[in-house]
Amino acid sequence: MRKTAIIFTISLITFCAAAQGKKKAGAFNGTKNKVSANQFLQQQWWLGIKGGINLAQADAAKRYTILTPTNYDASLLDKKYDAFTELGIQTTLEVTYYYKGFYFSFQPSYISSNFTYSNQLEWVNPQNLTESLLQTYKQTQKVEYADLPFFVKYDITGATLRPYVQVGVFYSILINAVKTVAVSSIDQASGGTNMIVNEPLIVGAKDLFSNYWGLVGGIGVAYQLGNVRLTLEANYRQSMSNIVNPLNRFSNDRLSGIGDAQDDLNLKNISISAGVLFPMRYLSNSFKSNDR
Amino acid sequence: MNKLFTVILLGLLFSCAKDSDPALDKANFTRIYDNNKFNGSYFPIDLKQTPDGGYLILAERRLVNSSFSGTYLLKVDEFGEFISELEVPSNQVAPIGPLLEADGKYYFFSMEPGNYQTQLSEVDLNGTVTKTTLVGGSYPSAAYKDNSDGSFVLLRYDNTTKQSVVTVMNPTGSVSKSMGFTIGAGDGVEEKFISHFLRTGRQFPFQVGRTANGQYFFNGFYNYNFSLVFSSLATSNPTGIAIGQQEQGGFSCVFPLEGNNYAAARFNFGDNYLLPSATINSAGISQIVDLEGNNLLELSSNAKVKVINLPLNAKSVILFASNTRGKQISLFGYDRTTGKLVGSKYLGFSNSYEIASLTSTSDGGLAVCGTTYVAGRFPRICLFKLSKEELAKSFK
Repeated sequence: MRKTAIIFTISLITFCAAAQGKKKAGAFNGTKNKVSANQFLQQQWWLGIKGGINLAQADAAKRYTILTPTNYDASLLDKKYDAFTELGIQTTLEVTYYYKGFYFSFQPSYISSNFTYSNQLEWVNPQNLTESLLQTYKQTQKVEYADLPFFVKYDITGATLRPYVQVGVFYSILINAVKTVAVSSIDQASGGTNMIVNEPLIVGAKDLFSNYWGLVGGIGVAYQLGNVRLTLEANYRQSMSNIVNPLNRFSNDRLSGIGDAQDDLNLKNISISAGVLFPMRYLSNSFKSNDR
Repeated sequence: MNKLFTVILLGLLFSCAKDSDPALDKANFTRIYDNNKFNGSYFPIDLKQTPDGGYLILAERRLVNSSFSGTYLLKVDEFGEFISELEVPSNQVAPIGPLLEADGKYYFFSMEPGNYQTQLSEVDLNGTVTKTTLVGGSYPSAAYKDNSDGSFVLLRYDNTTKQSVVTVMNPTGSVSKSMGFTIGAGDGVEEKFISHFLRTGRQFPFQVGRTANGQYFFNGFYNYNFSLVFSSLATSNPTGIAIGQQEQGGFSCVFPLEGNNYAAARFNFGDNYLLPSATINSAGISQIVDLEGNNLLELSSNAKVKVINLPLNAKSVILFASNTRGKQISLFGYDRTTGKLVGSKYLGFSNSYEIASLTSTSDGGLAVCGTTYVAGRFPRICLFKLSKEELAKSFK
């Protein structure tokens, strides 16, 4: 599914860009029209699509645990969150208004992110230290959101190749969440070393998560090809509110049964997207947006 | 237009998840109290909410050098966070519940392992044993706090006279009344008692209490049968008996309501029946098997059942807790007035979960204590705290 979405997005961008690139310049570029064109080009609407991949990492804002130690340090149970390891995807529809050097952009997106964490439990017979059980819980959390970001973008230069910076704020609406828990064990109490790997437990976890908001900033470059712009950008997103629903922290029996309670989480996300933008306002059929 | 935009923006922001807050963290939580000793085993018996909002849990623990279970006390705070534990020395074995509360102290009965004599221990709210008194008499089986006069009522098995004995005492262990009831001649019933105490056989739902009209009752062996026996403790002849079928049929628990009306659960050759309202004649002889009830096929064979009255949204719910064949703890709620089912809820998954005890809490919620087998093998104490709101969703 992920591969299909990526291939579809890239194909669509390539097709649209190629189609636009075949158009030839017409007679609009005459000197007498440049004054009115300058006024006209002080504002512009752009419509486009983009898509790409992302990497996510969750940080615990407040830790929760179901397993509560009575004779060892509770920090041994802390979940260890992996940094930007699992790929996710995003697709975006971009609507941008250009006015006097600044772009004001609304970019509703579908974004699917994955983050992982793990923890370990160990039991040892104090009378016989070789008698032990070590369990490792590896959790992969997939969260899907509809993002509603608003950006302000600024072109650093105005040439055919236009590097730009952008900052924004976003609101994310939860679509779905699925958790996969893989439990593996090393059992040294059955007459030898017994490696046990169980089938992963896959659990719908939508109730555990919530809508959230955050800030986003990024850099990119736009390449003018005919009337369209091809873009390549990287963004860093940081949630500013808890992405977990604390009301349902312990409500999933399948997860609490194996000792998993969701920490309060902040989500960080690095995304790379490629896209294409189309101008919505033309002076004439032969107008080329890279004339200005 | 600007106002509309502002309203939408604020609406979106406020619909974000709230950060956790202490009230929420107290109202709902699940805890499993883990010890990293490979051979450590803990089986909770009862819990009480203490005035500080925390919970005191009485449990059995595995003893390496004894045939009996040892005693364990666990104190946790209102969030379920671990405060302290006490592995009571091994001269106090086979503890029984419930924890009895009197004058801000908690009490439990246990047994001296050498001569099987009953002891009464006093515990402060931090889970420290402050005093232990030898009460005498063997094999304590069940206890009850009589709120009408503050006395403790004890059911025990006397292995010299082969009697089920009901004893009334005050919290200092001074006995005011005692009466024995024959279990029947021969060793057949005694074997079942001993295997119960050694945990090598079936665990019987012994219970003792007092009805609203002042009669004492016990759920235990009388004249070869596991029966519900009523008595004034004036003579060894019961005033009433609800007779079971040897050890194959009887009550799993009883909860006096009004007059001769009881909420009860009964077992019959492995089947389980919940009776939110049953009339039991305390002044005559009846057969337990004649009582109807809701046959809960999902419950494990001869399941342990606990019952409480739970005030919920201006009505009273008779709440049964038991164990399912799927190794979950099940809660079944019945309207106290109509006897109709108002909802059910299941706790635990993956690892096995077994009910120990449950209690309503000061915030209108419910605390459920049980045993779970962590990693499928280590018996540990688990505690579920359910908020009033969560209960209202499950029991409408």
